[in-house]
Amino acid sequence: MSAAVVWGVIGGMALTNILMRGVPILLLSRLKLPTIMERWLGYIPVCVMSAIVATSVLRPGGAWLSPLHNPYLLAAVPTAVVYRFSKSFLGATVAGVVAFLALRYLLG
Amino acid sequence: MPATDLSTLHGAGARASLLRGARLGMPIFLGYLPIGMAFGIAAIALGFTVAQASGCSALVIAGAGQFIAVETLRGGGGLAAALIATGVVNLRYVLFSATMSPRLHEYPRWQQFLLAFTLTDETFALNISDAREGKADAYSMLGVGAISWLGWTLGTTIGGLAGSAIGDPRAWGVDFAMPAMFTALLVGQVTGRRELVAAALAAVLALGLTLVLPGEWAVITAAVGTATVMTAVRP
Repeated sequence: MSAAVVWGVIGGMALTNILMRGVPILLLSRLKLPTIMERWLGYIPVCVMSAIVATSVLRPGGAWLSPLHNPYLLAAVPTAVVYRFSKSFLGATVAGVVAFLALRYLLG
Repeated sequence: MPATDLSTLHGAGARASLLRGARLGMPIFLGYLPIGMAFGIAAIALGFTVAQASGCSALVIAGAGQFIAVETLRGGGGLAAALIATGVVNLRYVLFSATMSPRLHEYPRWQQFLLAFTLTDETFALNISDAREGKADAYSMLGVGAISWLGWTLGTTIGGLAGSAIGDPRAWGVDFAMPAMFTALLVGQVTGRRELVAAALAAVLALGLTLVLPGEWAVITAAVGTATVMTAVRP
């Protein structure tokens, strides 16, 4: 692949991404959104996070794992508990990874 | 949350806020480093130089979008196919950007630009959670963006330089780093009955949709569907 093609792809991707990420912020942040729209957008974060967690722990890598043999699902429990009591994202993430490694080792 | 008045945030205050954001973003840094390495390895295998692989990550900062572009190129697709693939995978950023927008209206354009530039699933989720607790300001969000950008770009450079010599980063358990962070974020988001119902509905819907849609699309379709239902039934 020629250097020109590679840099063309990179430049095009950079432009595509900044437009998709930037245009809504630049346009909408200057407007007062209707209440119903703000309410709708207010639900987006919790829904996105829940959908990501559900798919990434129950279908890691895109395939179902049996719940009792699924280190992703089981490690999510101590992760949630550590966050609940520590309120630390870093602490919960590190605890989660350690639990995941231990569970993956134990489950073979 | 009202946006912080930036006229009060200068010098030491801005620096403290930036550092707080960088600390808050450490889980993302830890998660991005190995995924960035995997991208570096994949890009080198395709024929990218280390500079091209690192430049790609530094300018594009889109995990799945970059992988899909590399896959498209490897499959013989041309420039247009690679751009369409990355654009489709990253369409969800339009939604995240719109969701962030009401919180950013008092910030100057250059800050909005930098926040948009570093907007990913992870920075979006972390910043919006922090904002809901009333702690986020422009500089803390820029700190989260900067540390995430650094992890992703640095990881790509390391992966590009070391190549396959470093083996599979998944052996270190890092493929659970991002699910772990999202689990913690979700616990923080579920503050009442309504959020709990929305979370449960989105989870079930997303799992069902993975049977017919690719993962990214299942997530975004479930989120849009659930938000619409919740908004419609709210008394």
